[in-house]
Amino acid sequence: MADATIGPPATAARPALFLRNATGLVKSWSTFDAFVYSFWSINLITLGLYGMSYVYTVPDGQLLAGILLFGVLVTFLVITYAMLVSVMPRTGGDYAWQSRVLGGGLGFVLSITGWWFTLFLWAPIYANILVVQFFSPLAYTLGSTGIATFFTSQTGIFVSCLIVLAFVSIVVTLGMETYARIQKICFWIGLVGLAVVCLLLLVYSQTDFQNAFNREATSLFGAPANAYQATIDAGSKTFGGSDFGHFAFGPILLLLPWLAFYLLWPNWGATLYGEVRGAKDIRKPFWSMFAGLWVTVAMVAIVVLLINKTIGWNFYQSANAAYWNNLFAVQGAVAPPVPIWPYPVMFAGFLVDNHLFQALLIIVMGLWFFGWAGTLFLSSTRVIFAAAFDRVLPSWAANISAKRRVPYGALVLMIVPSVVISAIYAYKPDFTSVFLDATAVLALTFLATTVAAVILPWRRKDLYDASPIASYKIAGVPTISIVGVITGLFLLFMLYQWSFNPDNLYGTSLQKTPNSVIYFVATYVVAIVIYVIARVVRNRQGIDLRRIHHEIPVE
Amino acid sequence: MTRIFFATDLHGSELCWKKFLNAAKFYDAEVLICGGDMTGKAIVPIVSENGHYTVALGGEEQAVAADQVSEVEANIRRKGYYPLRMSVERLHELDQNPAKRAECFQEVMLQGVERWMNMAAEKFRGSSIRCFVCPGNDDEMEVDDVVRRAEMVELGEGRVVEIDGFSMISTGWSNPTPWKTHREDSEEQLAERIEAMAAQVPDPSRAIFNLHCPPYRSGLDEAPAIDADMKLMHGGRALRPVGSTAVREAIERHQPLISLHGHIHESKGAVKIGKTLSINPGSAYEEGMLMGAIIQLDPKKGIKSYQLVNG
Repeated sequence: MADATIGPPATAARPALFLRNATGLVKSWSTFDAFVYSFWSINLITLGLYGMSYVYTVPDGQLLAGILLFGVLVTFLVITYAMLVSVMPRTGGDYAWQSRVLGGGLGFVLSITGWWFTLFLWAPIYANILVVQFFSPLAYTLGSTGIATFFTSQTGIFVSCLIVLAFVSIVVTLGMETYARIQKICFWIGLVGLAVVCLLLLVYSQTDFQNAFNREATSLFGAPANAYQATIDAGSKTFGGSDFGHFAFGPILLLLPWLAFYLLWPNWGATLYGEVRGAKDIRKPFWSMFAGLWVTVAMVAIVVLLINKTIGWNFYQSANAAYWNNLFAVQGAVAPPVPIWPYPVMFAGFLVDNHLFQALLIIVMGLWFFGWAGTLFLSSTRVIFAAAFDRVLPSWAANISAKRRVPYGALVLMIVPSVVISAIYAYKPDFTSVFLDATAVLALTFLATTVAAVILPWRRKDLYDASPIASYKIAGVPTISIVGVITGLFLLFMLYQWSFNPDNLYGTSLQKTPNSVIYFVATYVVAIVIYVIARVVRNRQGIDLRRIHHEIPVE
Repeated sequence: MTRIFFATDLHGSELCWKKFLNAAKFYDAEVLICGGDMTGKAIVPIVSENGHYTVALGGEEQAVAADQVSEVEANIRRKGYYPLRMSVERLHELDQNPAKRAECFQEVMLQGVERWMNMAAEKFRGSSIRCFVCPGNDDEMEVDDVVRRAEMVELGEGRVVEIDGFSMISTGWSNPTPWKTHREDSEEQLAERIEAMAAQVPDPSRAIFNLHCPPYRSGLDEAPAIDADMKLMHGGRALRPVGSTAVREAIERHQPLISLHGHIHESKGAVKIGKTLSINPGSAYEEGMLMGAIIQLDPKKGIKSYQLVNG
């Protein structure tokens, strides 16, 4: 039954296409819905404030300029990924693209280390964010000091990891439809909370904040008078101070690896696009990721300017330096008078002399965590599915329970190692550097995908020529290759800094962090071993893994 | 040992059909099974005017010289659409007259299937390769007659066929969809349709259920949720099981050796339902990629191996 006409092109008043009634012909998805997912992936409150609390290590780096530069550079990553989604909207994202372009073995090793093994490390990071942005400030504000200090103990850290893993498992069990609804509620209420934070920081002066901070430091934490200055003094033991107005290009570049902690992930949902009809239209994935990135960049810029105006830049950075350097036992560091992570939301709440309001603000802003954290393993489960369907992993890894549709195989593969890693994080502080490397390994996975994108037009000419982006060229060179090269150089710069920065600025330099090197080399070795075993075992079963991606000749 | 290659939901992609035919040699398969939804979803008019042709593909209208039209037509077929040369008057007639449009659609679809059947005949004439086609819910009923007449392709719909000691039943009918396509049954009717064939299978442990619609809540039937306006919900990430309960019950009751499905392109996978291995190889026909499954059947052991491939 023919029942529809599509078109016309802009210049002609006539149809370009006749459609008949057929399964799957739907209207495209809302770019706003996809934007919300991308926006959450580069969460400016959870990841953003947490990541930016480390930028005191680059005191001459002008943060606002660094954020804008990062936004520009990540835009090339967004274009690269949007184009890949358009050519191959495959479930599994990085794994599928790398496997199909670079080869099955290389694709498996590079993507599985990033999207599977490294995600174990993110569970404790998420847990730490939950503690410093939710449990601790809320407990202190409500006068439950015992609960607050419990979460700083080793057992408390481990328990917080288990809470995160339980939450993530529940979200995966609920399914994305339910979680998408939760995300939207968290999105709107969280935005209201952020507006309140910004309003408070806008209408009050720095003097008001100093008075409020001193009042609450004594009231909630029992700190002596003038805790504001005492915090700056504590920071000054290991930190030379920071001037927000200072501008130098070199230090701005050194900020980039810190900013990657939260701004490198607008493409987080790319592993899911195989399930999205309409993903082949490059505009949808591009605009959803691009808007997620730049709305966040704009919001971060506003928050940073307000912190500078009301909280005071030197105070904020001194507080961060005092907190982290004391925690990491940096030589000469002393404990700050307010013994918790400098949470700008809590600081903004101090401006209202009412603990109930302050607690409510922390709870509302906590929705930025709960609307975001649920996707921790979502992409990983998709990558595991893709590897299982390719028979590289056992088929049970892709099993889904019939009753509740829980991907229990993939969940077990994520949760069990995450519990072990969480225990190491909680009880073996020597391994801290391993967790700092969590961003770098994912960046390496992205780099491999970028290489796949650069060579795609030649390596998989068939797919490229049939794709909507085949006509996108600059001076005769495929656009995907050009943006891929720019993205690759950007990622290589950060990987170099993470691995070889002579001052170990990011706590991840290879020479200074042997535990980290051992861990990550081990993950690559394990990935290679899994692939080799799969090849041998499947070969015995009469399955040649090499032919999974071999194209059938047409003629 | 029998090696089967199964692919489905080609939706008019001539490139995928050519790959499907070549898969026999490429994967050393003795049996090819096309699981349904062979026909395309759209006609792309190539309009003759002022001594040249105009065509809009991908939203961009372009003028094409007469000697380039064949190339454009091949490109359109590659994507799974039907190219159709026409005058401006014919274009307006089809635009304004749904009945004429439906008639035109059927004509080009059947011509397309006929051409595919001829390709198969040329490819397999004189060989021992068996090629089965079972039209799916998107294929009009008249497609069956074209397949039935084919020299080297066997129609699967509604039949129990013997494949090297294994029995295969096939149907392209599905449970109701929001699109009200050509072969849709209520779950009860679908159950009866399947049961009528399954009852004739002598040994379910040596049976292949080639059922276009995947079993409900199997993980092979997860489609993006849509609202009443056919708009994808939650950025297309909200997935719902849309498979058939009748298909699931048939699999659970008879426990065939293997069940082959399609219908939901995004829901590629292989799962166990009791003793049955259920496979949906997925579909990426628009990219010209043939997603399929290679299954090796052992006369004694049943399934020796299976593999999902992207050819």
